[in-house]
Amino acid sequence: MNRKRLAPGELPPGVADLFFHAAEQKLALEATLRDRFTRWGYRPVIPPTFEYAETLASEAGVRLAEEMYRFFDRDGRALALRPDLTIPTARIVGVKLFDQPLPLRFYYIGNVFRYEEPRAGKRREFTQAGVELIGAPEASADAEVIALLVDALQAAGLTDFRITLGQIGFFRGLLAALSLSAEAAERLRVAVDRRSQAEMEAILADFDGDDQTREAIAVLPMLAGDPEVLDEAQRIALNQEMAAAVANLRQVWERLRQYDVTDHIVLDLAQVRGMAYYTGILFEAFAPGVGFPLASGGRYDGLIGHFGPDQPAVGFALTVDRLLTALDHQAAAETAPPIDVIFQDCGHMECLSLVRRARSLGARAALDVLGRSVDDLMAYAREQGIPRVALCEGPGRVRLVTEAGSRVMEAAAWEEEVRTWIG
Amino acid sequence: MDRLRIALPKGRLLSASLDFLARAGYDFREGVQHTRRLLVSDGTGRLEAVLVKPKDIPVFVEYGAADLGIVGTDVLREVERDVYEPLLLPFGYCRLSVAAPADRPDTPLRLEPSPRVATSYPNLTHRFFQERGVSPEIILLSGSVELSPLVGLADLLVDMVETGRTLRENGLVELRTIMHSQAALIANRAAYALKKEAITALIEDLRRTVAEMRSADDA
Repeated sequence: MNRKRLAPGELPPGVADLFFHAAEQKLALEATLRDRFTRWGYRPVIPPTFEYAETLASEAGVRLAEEMYRFFDRDGRALALRPDLTIPTARIVGVKLFDQPLPLRFYYIGNVFRYEEPRAGKRREFTQAGVELIGAPEASADAEVIALLVDALQAAGLTDFRITLGQIGFFRGLLAALSLSAEAAERLRVAVDRRSQAEMEAILADFDGDDQTREAIAVLPMLAGDPEVLDEAQRIALNQEMAAAVANLRQVWERLRQYDVTDHIVLDLAQVRGMAYYTGILFEAFAPGVGFPLASGGRYDGLIGHFGPDQPAVGFALTVDRLLTALDHQAAAETAPPIDVIFQDCGHMECLSLVRRARSLGARAALDVLGRSVDDLMAYAREQGIPRVALCEGPGRVRLVTEAGSRVMEAAAWEEEVRTWIG
Repeated sequence: MDRLRIALPKGRLLSASLDFLARAGYDFREGVQHTRRLLVSDGTGRLEAVLVKPKDIPVFVEYGAADLGIVGTDVLREVERDVYEPLLLPFGYCRLSVAAPADRPDTPLRLEPSPRVATSYPNLTHRFFQERGVSPEIILLSGSVELSPLVGLADLLVDMVETGRTLRENGLVELRTIMHSQAALIANRAAYALKKEAITALIEDLRRTVAEMRSADDA
């Protein structure tokens, strides 16, 4: 095959290098998320990065199967990079943990891989942080993962965000009441998903049902907003399934009110994405500065049953890279200094012990292993934004130079000084 | 309430879009026609407009750089971006058609082996021919599409037709309509959640204006 010659070090589309501040920021965010998940009683799960393609693309993962990176093992078996972490977690629970006491609470933070057009916030390799609450069918479990998402976003430093909350049972019930062909059902789903009034009107024009049914279709795209929309939804419910979906949303809303997070929630019964996958509530989180969801999740009671005994489950996955974009948009980006202090490398063991002491106290201290002159070292620190330079004044004595001036100190004063940096 | 940003299409749809918004109470006409600024505010301060090329409008809206946009459904289907389409607007009517020189023998398109088709709508064109089992050679142009059969660049062309006059004057005939198009309001998915109140109020204003224009047409 005749391939275009690559430029040296060229990257494939949809991947990124992170270093310096961006890498630190991402790791710090992951640490914050890990801490929050842990505080809510979730424990880590670390599945393999690749598995047999068959496992990942079973009926369970069919929505992602087309986007998987596939390759062959030496014995000719098809492997694939994981396109998400929910399917591997479901496999672990279904195959290995089916007899464990319930509920199981898992969290993960890891990279996933999807072959899709790299645009609109979509990368081919990206980081997901998420939770799965397994074995609890109640509304209180639904509310827990949403409240945890709110807590995690707030802990990350995001203040302005909203979560749209729907219940797929409402739309499923509507489809059941209409008894449409698969094709017509998909046409209706797309129209609702796009909030397309025109397409809805066209569908209604072709539809010969009673007035009550027509109204239910016409009103559906507008069922978004405060809990009052639940009253309206209840009014137009055509069958038990639709009514049950509304009742479930009421219970979830009530629990969310107890968690004091409803300021961030918008109800949206026209949310119909991932219909093949979700079986109950479904939600997406949005923040200013990012035109697409930061996180999405919901209840998927049918997934684990592909790998073992059926198990109700609810969870979410947050795209860490998108959350970073949203945080950049919301907070004036402050550039933290890369390290706290740089030491002249004088070769005294006593001076080196001051460096080691600083590190053991928690300061970020580096030695100038290039052995620069004092002038060069000062210039380097200024350019790098390093706030302090320690110059040797004899064994165990340093002159600490900062913007405010300079001061000579020995071990005792040094320790006291370092403590003031790390507060 | 949050201020919203709407992306308006430069070119064919611009003046009808401006008239429509003015009728709904958001008047950008002064700002757009008498300045060269790309970001214009209306009198009410509730809405600001950016002027961009039609094909870029769904992109601005998908990324959330604009909360809303006005664009033809032809462009919307061509570029396939993930946006909401709450409202069709009563202007910008036209159709996307396949056309050929008037002296083309009268044979069905599906019998063409691999026609050379000039267009600035490659995705819709490709889909139209694929559905007929024909794999066309698509010649992507950004303008002067009508010229291409006359100078031997292409066998067929696919382009937007309003009255058909340009085609006739160039000795071309319409063979088939691929789709009918009109202006549509599109919205960013995140803005729908984050600025729900402002967006709902604006869409309501526009919906009312559409209804008024329809009943005026009927009268």
